[in-house]
Amino acid sequence: MDPFETLALPRRFGLDLKLAEARHLELSKTLHPDRYVGAPPNERRLALSRAVEVNEAWRALRDPIKRAEAILRLSGLEAEVGETREPKPSGAFLMEVMEAREALEEAKASRDAARVEGVVREARAQLGDAERALARAIDPVLDQGGGAAELRAAIPLLGRLRYAARLLEEARNAEDDLM
Amino acid sequence: MPLFEIFDPKAKPRPIGIDLGTTNSLVAYVKQGRPTVVTDCNSGALVPSVVFFGEQGTLVGELARRQAPEHPRETIVSVKRFMGRGADDAETRRLGPYEFAGPDEAPNRRVVSFKVHQRTVTPVEVSAEILKQLRDNARDEIGSVGPAVITVPAYFDDAQREATKYAGKLAGLEVLRLLNEPTAAALAYGLDQKQNGTFLVFDLGGGTFDVTVLKLEDGVFQVKSTGGDSALGGDDMDRALAEKILSDAHIERASPELVRRALDAARAVKHALTDVAVAGWELGDAKGEITREQFDVLVKPTVDRTIGPVRRALRDAGVDAQELDGVILVGGATRTPIVRQTVERVLGKEPLADIDPDQVVALGAAVQADLLAGEQLAEAGEDVLLLDVVPLSLGIETMGGIADKIIPRNTTIPTGARATFTTYADNQTGFEIHVVQGERELASDCRSLARFTLRGIPPMPAGMARLEVTFKVDADGLLRVHAIETTTGKEQSVDVQPTYGLTEDEMEQMLLDALDHGEEDLLKRRLAEGRVEAERVILATEKGLRDGKALLETGEEPQIRAAIDALHAATRNADPDAIRVATEALDKVTGPFAERRMNDAIARAIAGRNVEDVDHEVAAAKGVDAHVEEHEQRRRGGPEEKGSS
Repeated sequence: MDPFETLALPRRFGLDLKLAEARHLELSKTLHPDRYVGAPPNERRLALSRAVEVNEAWRALRDPIKRAEAILRLSGLEAEVGETREPKPSGAFLMEVMEAREALEEAKASRDAARVEGVVREARAQLGDAERALARAIDPVLDQGGGAAELRAAIPLLGRLRYAARLLEEARNAEDDLM
Repeated sequence: MPLFEIFDPKAKPRPIGIDLGTTNSLVAYVKQGRPTVVTDCNSGALVPSVVFFGEQGTLVGELARRQAPEHPRETIVSVKRFMGRGADDAETRRLGPYEFAGPDEAPNRRVVSFKVHQRTVTPVEVSAEILKQLRDNARDEIGSVGPAVITVPAYFDDAQREATKYAGKLAGLEVLRLLNEPTAAALAYGLDQKQNGTFLVFDLGGGTFDVTVLKLEDGVFQVKSTGGDSALGGDDMDRALAEKILSDAHIERASPELVRRALDAARAVKHALTDVAVAGWELGDAKGEITREQFDVLVKPTVDRTIGPVRRALRDAGVDAQELDGVILVGGATRTPIVRQTVERVLGKEPLADIDPDQVVALGAAVQADLLAGEQLAEAGEDVLLLDVVPLSLGIETMGGIADKIIPRNTTIPTGARATFTTYADNQTGFEIHVVQGERELASDCRSLARFTLRGIPPMPAGMARLEVTFKVDADGLLRVHAIETTTGKEQSVDVQPTYGLTEDEMEQMLLDALDHGEEDLLKRRLAEGRVEAERVILATEKGLRDGKALLETGEEPQIRAAIDALHAATRNADPDAIRVATEALDKVTGPFAERRMNDAIARAIAGRNVEDVDHEVAAAKGVDAHVEEHEQRRRGGPEEKGSS
């Protein structure tokens, strides 16, 4: 399934999420099972499967990790994308992540909300950096009609995005625990 | 009484909305464009969710409640707390004075069953009794009862939802939809006030707590997040208070009768303290009083348990408390002053309670039933759509007992997802698939929904087989799982049969038992249902032929018309199977036409966004960084949040 095609949107990493959301809503209004309650069974089945596709597409596009995965997969890099297949990020980046993680553990142990907050900010910054880097690595290639060979360089950046997202999630869980 | 009476042809059947509550239940319908609750001459709108199984027969509601002090074991209260629970569920045992059937006594060992006199009843059957009473009350007021929407706590898991739907079926209702209670409440408020904005629904009922954040925009109710606790409610307050009363009365070992009386006294005190500062109680010879301050201290632990889910729901929705346009209170327990104070303190906003918090869910359910059945509100042009979410993540147990989440919580429904697994041992010929629900990392900490095994895979080295598991969640929030081994094409599909649920056969048997003349009535019921469905399909097909004339291919219309005529002819006979066959034939012949119309509708929906595409060009000119930044903020809930903790 091509989520970009399902929502009739251009295939880009730097996607206009407002438009994507509006399109999701518009298609939901057309396809939601509630619109087909009295309809014949074949229409109900069709609408249901299309509504599922539309919801899946929106879920894939709103999340930057899934969005990047979809682009790389659709560009023929399926076999190289996925956490276990991707190369590990650079040592310098891993150091950064480890430091942030240590800071988080310490903040959790001392129940220091302000420090947890700090890690949340740090994780957000890393996530923003990774997203920007991915956009720079992917969108110009797509604009110029490039393919798998040029997009391969984006795979390690996807790994960075995953690390940052996980750190952010852990930091936010820690924030929850301190509430 | 025979169930097929609901198809009484003389009165036009009206859709109904049912709030099947822990403590009280209600039924409502739309009367002249406004939702209205059904009242009966004795007890008003609220029917206590109490069922008494006597030797002479079954009583429901107020009459049943009066039996409770004398017959605590035969009088089932708060049955909702037992829905979808297993016989060995630790939670089950502490929930009341009941006698439970042992493993050899119950026909179904997995489901908890109550022993009442010489028989055993499941929570589904008890709930069905309540639903039948509501159906009868509705019929007395509106003449003929149509399809129903039944509400469930948003936080109900799959087993609890399945159990509720079965109860509806068992009560002879056509269940149009299971609707989440907070969403129903928002629907009642939203249609009333026609407001746009972001709302939080705080729903503290007798036995469950739900919190939902949703956005209302031009008739679309979009649930952003939902959370709660399916074992937290006003009953917990009653219990805390009853323990205090028993201890003040110097009762150390209380009989079930005494516990029940203490709980009744506690409830009376709780209600009184809503308006006055001190309330008295009596229990046998003992008496005493309790001040509101004492009460607040006793129930504070219960009330405070609502705060965590509220914060998490806000966070999941990416919304800050200050951004809320309103807070809606639902459930009788929100009348308690300390609950209102807590909500106001945590959210910094005085909650809305314009609509009776006991009635708002049933009113919303009636609205949804009316809209779904295409009745008054839909005809009046109310263009309303609900987009709800899955409340709990759905996943599969993988190696090492880890729960691999396939569909994360707060995903908009209907939805689906696929995941691929492989074998871990050489020559492994079967896969065991364990479906779980919940947020915890270990499968053993999540709710077990179903286990099934895909067998017959030819021997292969480890890691060679490819098992593709597909999850589909429908608009009721119910899960279907399909598994296929792709190298051999070996496949298996299961409707997730909750580990603690009832099988299709057990359901059928319960249905037969519920009917006076078993098989014969079931045949009549299937015939009546088949005819109603046939009429509906014919009407819809004819409308499709009129609206989609341009999309018909040459020679298609006469074929479709012939199939319609054949179905008409089949409905005149008394053979439900013939009606089903003719309905399926019509379905088949209209398939390609239906697909063309669907594609046309999709193309029109996409074209409809062209005006906004202008905005899109402008936005695109901002460049990637601005988009990423904007997205970042939306995902994290905006910059304001950074300042909060």
